[in-house]
Amino acid sequence: MALRSALAHRNLLYLLSLKELRTRYKKSLLGWGWSLLNPLTQMLIFSIIFLYVFRQEPPTGDPSGMKNFPLFFLCGLLPFNFFSISVGVSMGNVQGGSGLIKKVQFPHEHLVFSVVVAQFVTMLIEFSVLTVALLIGGNMVLPWLPVLLLILATWAVFVTGVALALSAANVFFHDVNYLWGILSQLLFYATPIIYDANNPNLPRLLRIISAHGPTGSFVTAVRNVMYDLRMPSARDLAILVVYAGASFSIGNFIFSHLSPRFAEEM
Amino acid sequence: MHEVVLEVDNLTKTFRIHRERANSLKQRIAAKGRNRFDEFIALEDVTFNVHEGEVFGVIGHNGSGKSTLLKCMAGILQPNQGSVHVHRRMSALLELGAGFHPELSGRENVFLNAAILGMNRRDIANKFDEIVEFSGLERFIDQPVKTYSSGMYVRLAFSVAINVDPRLLIIDEVLAVGDVTFQKRCLEKFVEFRNDGRTIVLVTHDLASVRNMCDRAIWLKQGHVSGEGDPKTLVEAYTDSMLGSTPHDETGSTRRGSGELIVNGVEIFVGTDPNPVTRFQTGDTVRFRLSYETLKAVPRPIFSLIIDALGGSTVTAPCSRDVGLVPDTVEGEGWIDIVMPDISLLPGAYDVHTAVHDFNRQHEYDYFHVATRFDVTTGKPYESAGVVTMRPEWQFSYDA
Repeated sequence: MALRSALAHRNLLYLLSLKELRTRYKKSLLGWGWSLLNPLTQMLIFSIIFLYVFRQEPPTGDPSGMKNFPLFFLCGLLPFNFFSISVGVSMGNVQGGSGLIKKVQFPHEHLVFSVVVAQFVTMLIEFSVLTVALLIGGNMVLPWLPVLLLILATWAVFVTGVALALSAANVFFHDVNYLWGILSQLLFYATPIIYDANNPNLPRLLRIISAHGPTGSFVTAVRNVMYDLRMPSARDLAILVVYAGASFSIGNFIFSHLSPRFAEEM
Repeated sequence: MHEVVLEVDNLTKTFRIHRERANSLKQRIAAKGRNRFDEFIALEDVTFNVHEGEVFGVIGHNGSGKSTLLKCMAGILQPNQGSVHVHRRMSALLELGAGFHPELSGRENVFLNAAILGMNRRDIANKFDEIVEFSGLERFIDQPVKTYSSGMYVRLAFSVAINVDPRLLIIDEVLAVGDVTFQKRCLEKFVEFRNDGRTIVLVTHDLASVRNMCDRAIWLKQGHVSGEGDPKTLVEAYTDSMLGSTPHDETGSTRRGSGELIVNGVEIFVGTDPNPVTRFQTGDTVRFRLSYETLKAVPRPIFSLIIDALGGSTVTAPCSRDVGLVPDTVEGEGWIDIVMPDISLLPGAYDVHTAVHDFNRQHEYDYFHVATRFDVTTGKPYESAGVVTMRPEWQFSYDA
């Protein structure tokens, strides 16, 4: 249903996404620079902690042989940030769309879709910068980019599902918003971003979550393609599709059941 | 009978009025098992049909359920029972410019707003020039709308909404937007709509527009349909119920107000003649005598005398407060004389009403509609048209 609506109102989706992109950095000097500065700062902090405070060896790419913690970190951080920011902004966008929801009949799910699309574009820009960095670092990632795009597109479907579910719930309980702030922090550390999913030092539970949880599975797949220069196994890819399908169906179910009551609840 | 374009069947809509709004999980869990809300019935069993080409009015007091009905028709609220069926492309103008983003330019907002209202890209592109032209904002269309005045903002929003090209237009009190010129254009657009055979549903307080524009109307009263049919009859019934007035006699006199102080009647005297008249001439010195009585002492009342020409327009309405004539209290019976020397009224028939208010005009003690009537016959000066004379002095000059 959501997919059909997205197609039927693709013009609305396009214009709402454009609005998201255009208004995000209006009135700021650096503009889009900000979207790059944030992950770069995180990279800097974690690199210093990882390399100089804890004096760890950076994980080695297999078969690429790359040994570079900042790039390793960014390969995980960029998709994760897309997830956590999209969900957070979606909740705000649905809540902030109350003026519209109460006055005009329109497909509410586009308030979520447009955020995901805009964040996706932002992520692609970040990834193109990362691609240049990886090329300079000696990783020939260019042939892998189509696979990367496919993985990221599947990831976006997963993200949309979570964003739909939580944005709808947030209309009824504003706690969801705050809860997400905490949950996404926990997820950040439960996802193999600063460490490798196969790190044998990980506690058992964290190892299972980071290797087989949805965020871990996607991040690892992206890292396989960009850092290791290796095709994820068919089984791993199938899991990604299952995760994305499940997330989207559940999110869509929740959203389409709750959205008729939005106007009343806001 | 034309085809039905909007069907409202046994529509019922209730709201929960939460005694303590549970907006967080904690509150909701804490309140579990106890029903901490009251049901409020906004609409109950509302049924009506609107036919193709009709201008259909919905009138009612504040809180009668008009807005709820509007939102149900627009598909914003879901009814609890019953149904709303819309059989034509519909556009509902509930609030103009909902969804405008202040940082975006007028152009960008036109595209976005039209898309929200359901237009596709090609239609918007085709209509864009028309929209901008109708708004009259060609020069400002690439400025961010945050720089617009509120009038410009509303004009642009209205232009988008009206150009969505609906077959069924639902309007909520938005007729009065922009300046006089723009209002005139809006009105022309509505007439054009109507002449095209499109359907308009008008939800409004503005009884005059219902009476003038609508073919049929319903009257909502506390969530129920209190009347349906001819707008003129309905508006009259509605006005009567709103003013709480009761017919006084067969001349069309009515009276309303709380009644502590009432004007019993108005007598008219000319010159020094002690007998009251109902007819005098332009130029006579006329005395209006208002007789009043009170139920109890009334502090600082103010009296008004209203003279209307036959068409209903007020010619003059002197008020005792305007001349500083405010007694501390009035009790018992008495009268007030209002003398108009050398009266300027031209020949015709006139109605006289009286009103008594408290000093702040917040409270109405008495309003006597058509307390009396009088005719003015030809006197001096004479003018063949108009209602009053300004006693003009004429001068001709010739090119010698």
